[in-house]
Amino acid sequence: MIVRLNTDIVAGLVGLAFAAALWLPRADMGRLSIIFPRAVLVILVLLSLILVLKGFIRPGERRIEITGSPRRLLVVIIGFFAWWMAIDAIGFLVSTVIAFYALTWYLARVEGVVRWQRLARWTPAILLLIGTFYLTFKEVLNVRLPTGLLM
Amino acid sequence: MKFIRKPLVVAVSALAVVGMSTAVQADYPEEDITYIIPFNPGGESDVTARFQEPILEEELGVSVNVTHQPGGGGAVAWSQFQNNAEPDGYEIIGVNIPHIIGQPIQRSDAGFETDDWRIVTFFHSTPNALIVPDDSPYETLDDLVEDAKENPEAITLGGSGTYSANHLDMLRFEEEAGIDLTYIPFTGTGPLKGAIEGNHLSGIFNYTMLGTEMEDSARVLAVASEERVKALPDAPTFKEQGYDIVGGAYRGVAVPKGTPDEVVETLEEAFAKANEEIASKQEPLGFVMEDITGEEVDEVVAMLREAYEPILQSASEED
Amino acid sequence: MDMLLQALSSLLTIESILTVLVGVSLGLFIGSLPGLTATMALAVLLPFTFSMEALQGLIALGAVYMGSIYGGAFTAILINTPGTPSSIATTFDGYPMARQGRAYEALAGATMASVAGGVVGVIFLLILAPPLARLAVAFGPAEMFWVAMLGLTLVASLSSGSLLKGLLAGCIGMMLSTIGVSPIGGETRFTFGFPPLQGGVELIVALIGLFVIPELLTMAAEGRGALPSGGEMRKRELSIGRIARQIFGKPVNLIRSCLIGQLVAIIPGAGGNVTSLVAYNEARRFSKDPSSFGKGNLEGVVASESSNNVMVAGSMVPLLTLGIPGAPPDAIILGVLLMHGLRPGIDLFTETGVLTNGFILSMGLAALMLLPVGLIGGRLIHRVVIRTPYYFLVPSIAMVTILGTFALRNSFLDVGIMLALGTAGYFLRLIGIHAAPIVLGLILGGIAEQGYVQTMLAAVADPVPWLRLVENPLSKVLAGLVLVGAASALIPIWLERSGRLAKVTDTTEANRNREGEV
Repeated sequence: MIVRLNTDIVAGLVGLAFAAALWLPRADMGRLSIIFPRAVLVILVLLSLILVLKGFIRPGERRIEITGSPRRLLVVIIGFFAWWMAIDAIGFLVSTVIAFYALTWYLARVEGVVRWQRLARWTPAILLLIGTFYLTFKEVLNVRLPTGLLM
Repeated sequence: MKFIRKPLVVAVSALAVVGMSTAVQADYPEEDITYIIPFNPGGESDVTARFQEPILEEELGVSVNVTHQPGGGGAVAWSQFQNNAEPDGYEIIGVNIPHIIGQPIQRSDAGFETDDWRIVTFFHSTPNALIVPDDSPYETLDDLVEDAKENPEAITLGGSGTYSANHLDMLRFEEEAGIDLTYIPFTGTGPLKGAIEGNHLSGIFNYTMLGTEMEDSARVLAVASEERVKALPDAPTFKEQGYDIVGGAYRGVAVPKGTPDEVVETLEEAFAKANEEIASKQEPLGFVMEDITGEEVDEVVAMLREAYEPILQSASEED
Repeated sequence: MDMLLQALSSLLTIESILTVLVGVSLGLFIGSLPGLTATMALAVLLPFTFSMEALQGLIALGAVYMGSIYGGAFTAILINTPGTPSSIATTFDGYPMARQGRAYEALAGATMASVAGGVVGVIFLLILAPPLARLAVAFGPAEMFWVAMLGLTLVASLSSGSLLKGLLAGCIGMMLSTIGVSPIGGETRFTFGFPPLQGGVELIVALIGLFVIPELLTMAAEGRGALPSGGEMRKRELSIGRIARQIFGKPVNLIRSCLIGQLVAIIPGAGGNVTSLVAYNEARRFSKDPSSFGKGNLEGVVASESSNNVMVAGSMVPLLTLGIPGAPPDAIILGVLLMHGLRPGIDLFTETGVLTNGFILSMGLAALMLLPVGLIGGRLIHRVVIRTPYYFLVPSIAMVTILGTFALRNSFLDVGIMLALGTAGYFLRLIGIHAAPIVLGLILGGIAEQGYVQTMLAAVADPVPWLRLVENPLSKVLAGLVLVGAASALIPIWLERSGRLAKVTDTTEANRNREGEV
């Protein structure tokens, strides 16, 4: 997918938005704590303004290209965040098994319909992989993985 | 198969806790204990915990897992612990003075309170020490005070962290002696050694450990303890030289409020035992072994809070 | 010399060699997982070393350290993910090479460069430790500020395309570094009243997010793996010998990178994270064909990987002589030394010289061991990665990433920050704001801030405080280097532009860039 977009202006606006988000909480800080962030913020704003200006006068790249399917991109982004939230709610192990299956199924559909028999054939590999990493992190590295409601 | 059975066990034991918590606690400990260190691996808290780990395991008969949750000078782990940990003794966390006193006063969003847990024990302390390099013009503390009176703010002392034990006691020293020094915070003790070897500072206000570590290249002018520290027999205390400054960092462990007394006692004993065995390794490094438990904990916390609170209050008003 | 031979003989036992082998392999595995750092690898190993003799314990730690720094190269090349911050620069050319089907060439090159770097570092440590240590302590707050500024001039070479956008990215990175508790002042900044944010944005969390997630999203959107499968491995002409000739035939790049690695490694606190970036930048600056960098030039991989493995032994210089940890993992080794009653200093090289030399030599042995372990391991991992269908690869990498991020600080929030930065990173890359300068800003922001504020504090009593920044000879030299670096980065761009647009004299552009640089 190709989108017509003046990247200079957009980059400048992103910089301004980022600076704005950090501008307000800056007010009630002590001298030693604010000296550096304030300097960077000022430079950030300046650079952003210059970029916006440059975008009008002598723009650089004026289109961006999302390679592949934007829909799959969006679904996977949402999927990742859902996975993250699920880890807190239902624990790492369960959510990962579900997320792993769901993602594999969804992504494999690029090559055509995925029958459940095929998914079933992948099961040992998927469970082995998740199990190995789960146990390594939990038992060897002593990481306290969230257990959530289930485990 | 273990995976499927475990939630059931948890559910059943949760029910059991509600009904007959004393019965369950009588056999403490039965499960693995998680020992949270709110700092990075490699620091003093971590190394001490690694020393304690095998001894605690032997004493308690279950495995003790040391795990790290660094961030915000400890505050991230402490706030999560106070909000989420179960009062069953299977989750214990390292606590440090003055961090747990200073951060809630100083920050509006520290996320934890100084008293909102039960501190099992403070197992050791590291008194503050004023250290100067070998080639420094200051032979004694008096030399330094004299020079500071003539040249206010010109003497730079490095320490670890802002409003840390180092910083706070240096501010107390300034007040007691009526002088103005310049305190420069560093992150951790490693860079301090470099700064003093490279002559970037007049001296350091850090812990006794650094004094023993740098024995060959530096001089300890004063130690902020009641009595002289074993590892530094030649270093006088502030008290001997007429300044009433006793302070430093205390390290200990805490459990959530409401943890049964038996559990706390079991842990107290295990940590005391660990201290006995570690002493031979840590004392020569400059640590002072402590066994502060029960009401003494509150006394120590109250004493240091009284000493530090006015400084912290005035500091946050200035900003 | 006697001591060295004695040390060598104590090292050449089956037990020691096995310890090194296991240590290197373990380190390699941990280092290659995003999120698991060398520091963590050492921390996990620590309890095991208690039961060992002092030398065996140190050998194990040294081997794991060496292995984990090298392990970062694997993921850097194969999935564009630096396993440890020290291999960021490896991704710049390693990953493009992999995409061209030259992954094994890159892996083998990285392995040989790492071995060379590791051995050179050990030699430096053996013969030059005391003078280098004196140089290390010359870096005080003011010097650190200039080191950070010098690092920022790298933005020019990291921002493919627009310099302005590169600088913008660097600023964003520096702002991210200020979230959390301020290093001086001790206040919480930009936490929006949310206690967990006191921990700030951890460098490695940002690193994983900004590098891995965009790659995963690209794979998912395109519906295919990033690396071409098959082919490459069967081509016999791509022999180890040919790669070796390519690297060692014209060793200028290798030698330069090793020297840079050693110099940067002794700067306490900047160490590991920047070495490879500096070496990469210089390799490119001195190359006859700078434009081929970033598009799959083996020299880039060699520069990055040799310099970061020099760092392993290199950062031991200030550690063993003065007790100053040059890089975070060294703090753990310091702990072990103290625990065994070994106080860093000159005694370490005289009284307990056999032990110290044994430890140093064991790192050399570990470096040599990287060759077989790396070449075989690299072949295996490479095969796994290119043969695994992309619809397995994406969830697998995502899982490891989530686990690694979580494990770093046992923080659930960190995983969210990682995902959010990663998603943002995907879109930012589309508009020309790349991950590398953001991460660079994040690394250097803290160093710059601390150096600057500390200097200003120390100069409270001075009439003109900021003169402290250029008071010492070393800080003057560094400040000069910053000017030269900025000029050499800007002038070519300016010349090119004014040449192409002969009639439009665009002085404003140059002025503006200079502003950003300072």
